[in-house]
Amino acid sequence: MLEARLEQANLLKKVVDAIKDLVQDCNFDCNDSGIALQAMDNSHVALVSMMLKSESFSPFRCDRNIALGINLTSLTKVLRAAQNEDILTLKAEDAPDVVNLVFESAESDRISEYDIKLMDIDQEHLGIPETEYAATISMPSAEFQRICRDLMALSESVSIECSKEGVKFACQGDIGSGSVTLRSHTNVDKPEMNVEIDLTEPVSLTFSLKYLVGFCKASSLSGQVKLCLSNEVPLLVEYALANNSYLRFYLAPKIGDEE
Amino acid sequence: MARTRSKPAAKVSKETIPPETIAPAALPPSAADPPRLFILPKDTSPDSRIVTLSHPATATPTRYYFCPEKGFYEFTKIAAPRSSPRSWLLAPPRIQKTDIDSKSNAAKEDTASVDKGYITKSADLFIATPLDILFLLLPALAPKSTPKEHQKQLFLSLDDHLDTLAATSPHLRQLLRTPKLKERIAKRMESVADIVDAGDEKMYRLSYPRLVSILLQKAERMAANGLPASMEEKFVRSALDVPILDIPREDSGISVFESSEAVDLQSQTTTATTPTGDSQTTVKSETTEATSTTSLQPPAISAPEGIPHLLRLRTALSLLLSLVPPTLHTAINASLVAPTIDFTPLTTHLAHLSSLRQKSAALRSVSDNISRKRAFDEDADEQAEIRAEKRRKKEEDEKRKKSESRGLKQLRKADTSGMKKLSSFFTAKPAVKK
Repeated sequence: MLEARLEQANLLKKVVDAIKDLVQDCNFDCNDSGIALQAMDNSHVALVSMMLKSESFSPFRCDRNIALGINLTSLTKVLRAAQNEDILTLKAEDAPDVVNLVFESAESDRISEYDIKLMDIDQEHLGIPETEYAATISMPSAEFQRICRDLMALSESVSIECSKEGVKFACQGDIGSGSVTLRSHTNVDKPEMNVEIDLTEPVSLTFSLKYLVGFCKASSLSGQVKLCLSNEVPLLVEYALANNSYLRFYLAPKIGDEE
Repeated sequence: MARTRSKPAAKVSKETIPPETIAPAALPPSAADPPRLFILPKDTSPDSRIVTLSHPATATPTRYYFCPEKGFYEFTKIAAPRSSPRSWLLAPPRIQKTDIDSKSNAAKEDTASVDKGYITKSADLFIATPLDILFLLLPALAPKSTPKEHQKQLFLSLDDHLDTLAATSPHLRQLLRTPKLKERIAKRMESVADIVDAGDEKMYRLSYPRLVSILLQKAERMAANGLPASMEEKFVRSALDVPILDIPREDSGISVFESSEAVDLQSQTTTATTPTGDSQTTVKSETTEATSTTSLQPPAISAPEGIPHLLRLRTALSLLLSLVPPTLHTAINASLVAPTIDFTPLTTHLAHLSSLRQKSAALRSVSDNISRKRAFDEDADEQAEIRAEKRRKKEEDEKRKKSESRGLKQLRKADTSGMKKLSSFFTAKPAVKK
């Protein structure tokens, strides 16, 4: 039996919105520590890993490990019926056929209830080791989104070079080339505008911009985004959520494609 | 449901039929050397016996039936095929019902006669068929090894020839003492050998042209009366079988190729008749004219005129050659050329047929596929199930694709070249938590 009550439906709406353009169906693995999700895109070059800790819900009850195989398009359709400020409750039996979503409006006494049929999804789970990254960059998520969108106009891939000088996002396309360089920067008034670069050794990697732009859909979830890079290792893009919950994206670098 | 139901049903039927046990009847032990069944020629002299002579071609000791009046007979073993084992029941002739009345104790004898019956385990039957003495003489006349061109064979007297012959088997030595046989041998020898008179004695030497002409005569006689049905089928009919190239499938692409094949065939055959299409009927009439035997077989052999006859002749000759010492074969084959008999039309026709056969074998793989498809129709249910499953999967896939979000479709177009799969960075977790 699963029962998870979310104060604001907004959170799930945004999370699903950010993922739905990367994966079609995925399992929401529910256990007593919370709701986790891990899925790869069709090409298996990107991976999304979500963790909504039990503390994010009030209350949270999960007696048994349940895997809810949900089609994200269907979930999006249902979540559209929820207002941002609605209280959202997820319910499922121990061996469920459906997941039940209840939206309660705090202002009016409106209760809407939806059932989504579940699917059997065969997904391989990857074990992601704790990695010490050579470079960790924290920056405003809106800034990262803007850089990606701007460079997307020129090219399909971006090289991220991290050195003592700062971090340089550079691209070369048919019409020309462009680059954005950020330096460490602390804004006392608005700490969410800080740019922090933590570097142990210089890193330079190339990534597909289409995927990065996709990841940036999660920008509204968190004011800050953390990019973790190491040579020859997938890039980690992390959006930290309240209560140690997180939404992480991993993307394989482009290797040997240096035109 | 149906599957689960069928199992217990089978079980029940098994239980209801108890295994039958038949008490083995006590039989007398089988004889170590059982009697054999022979069919011997009629009206042979009482001095007839079975003798062991060396086989003219292979020189292995072989049993022959010898009658001083009628000559030699060879035995042909007729055995039941291994696939259908048979036995002989041998019993004295039963007395007819009418005879029973006349004979007082006939009834008793009748039962006794059945009791006296004998069963031979193997259904072998040995038939004695006449054998030309000529063949038995040939080993003596033939050179010991293939002669060189210039080395002529010597003329020898009849007794010298007979001595070499008698040396091969002691039985023959015994037989040669009878003057009648010797006389007969001399007569036969004259027909096949060159003769020189040396004083009061005649000297003999093997004459190849005579031998060949005798063999040809024998072969002609065999062919004229028609070969035995099994030989006709195996060596003549199947050898002249024109491979079926034109499978009636007009709309398929293959038939186009085949029709060009038929044209090719027409141009290749030197004889006027073509073995395709409506000309087949005319061919049929011609072959029946050539040899009266073909009219016995229901479908005519489609081959140019004279070819079936030539093939029959050659088959008969090859059968005869199995009785001729191998040292003579090359000489005989060498003399079977144009002036005596011309096999060239036959060889060219056979070569043409074999090339056609190769082509049709190449085409067969296509038609094989078709027949296999038909065969599978038997378990149509299963097939339909599989097809339905496939269709369902396909539809599901299509549905999935349609329900894909726009972003996913966009991402499909993303260039992922040079990007490794994430599974090459992260190892798969051994067990999926459930």
